[in-house]
Amino acid sequence: MMTNLGNRVTQGQFSFLPNLTDAQITAQIKYALGKGWALGIEYTDDPHPRNTYWEMFGNPMFDMKDPAGILLEVNNCRKTFPNHYIRVTAFSAVRGVESVTIVLHCQSSKNEPGFGLVRQETDGRTMRYTIHSYAPTRLKASAILSKLAHLN
Amino acid sequence: MAIWARKNDMILHLHRAGNSTYSRQKNHGMSFRVICKWMRMAGVDHIHAGTVVGKLEGDPMMIRGYYDTLLDTHTSVQLEKGIFFEQDWASLNKCMPVASGGIHAGQMHQLLHYLGDDVVLQFGGGTIGHPDGIQAGAVANRTALEVMIQARNEGRDIWNEGPQILADAAKWCSPLKSRLGDVERYYFQLRIHR
Repeated sequence: MMTNLGNRVTQGQFSFLPNLTDAQITAQIKYALGKGWALGIEYTDDPHPRNTYWEMFGNPMFDMKDPAGILLEVNNCRKTFPNHYIRVTAFSAVRGVESVTIVLHCQSSKNEPGFGLVRQETDGRTMRYTIHSYAPTRLKASAILSKLAHLN
Repeated sequence: MAIWARKNDMILHLHRAGNSTYSRQKNHGMSFRVICKWMRMAGVDHIHAGTVVGKLEGDPMMIRGYYDTLLDTHTSVQLEKGIFFEQDWASLNKCMPVASGGIHAGQMHQLLHYLGDDVVLQFGGGTIGHPDGIQAGAVANRTALEVMIQARNEGRDIWNEGPQILADAAKWCSPLKSRLGDVERYYFQLRIHR
């Protein structure tokens, strides 16, 4: 009945489309540079939808004018963090806008363990619910286990 | 209300009730542009300002005039858009225009062309009326929007190539495919009835 592109995290601007190729990403970067926006690359291991503050990969590339150079940085990030979520953001500094204008997700984690429900008891027996993502703890656990395996 | 909304972390959304009073009834001499300016100054965050291709009244230039009144930091005299006075908005908070009323995924190229980036697109009937259900409707709308933005950013001419871009996306997105087929059937039937 419905096509679902593989049950993936749909947070980015083009997340309902098939993964963008490097050429398509370069086209978007070129558009952002043409508009004078600053590009940055960010990564995280926690795909929780309320996790807005991802880690920055280097500084925002204010002076880079070449889309290919920026794509090089993106691929650098992919190599450094092969199993993290990576996104490219473009920031418009125009007076009155001053906000992020493009959010392009270019890599997802291969295993997406999903989210768990967290229940918090507040006054009386009132329950407050939220979700937490399994990814950060599981990634760290698997990283520790693989290091131990190497030691053996 | 605007002060309360700001204090309590809420968005103040002004709905489209009464829009036709300003846009269809021509005898009272009050234009919707006045409401736009007034509401922007009052601190409203969203206001339904017309769709061009949907149910609400308004030709492209007039609607662009409303949107400019809400979004500009400095408006110059543009008689074709109905703007008679120059206005420096002096960092007054912008008001986000909302396009809602009879719009659907098949018109995405027209919507993006007329209304630009700074708009909230609301598809009510356009989502719920999808033949495959509401979730499919939402997927079709979002896919159409994303594919159109991607094409526009790449520099393609979305006004002329729009239908082709949507048709290409419909090849791998079945909700969009049924939506476009449905729209065609609807307009076909409409032509027969007339």
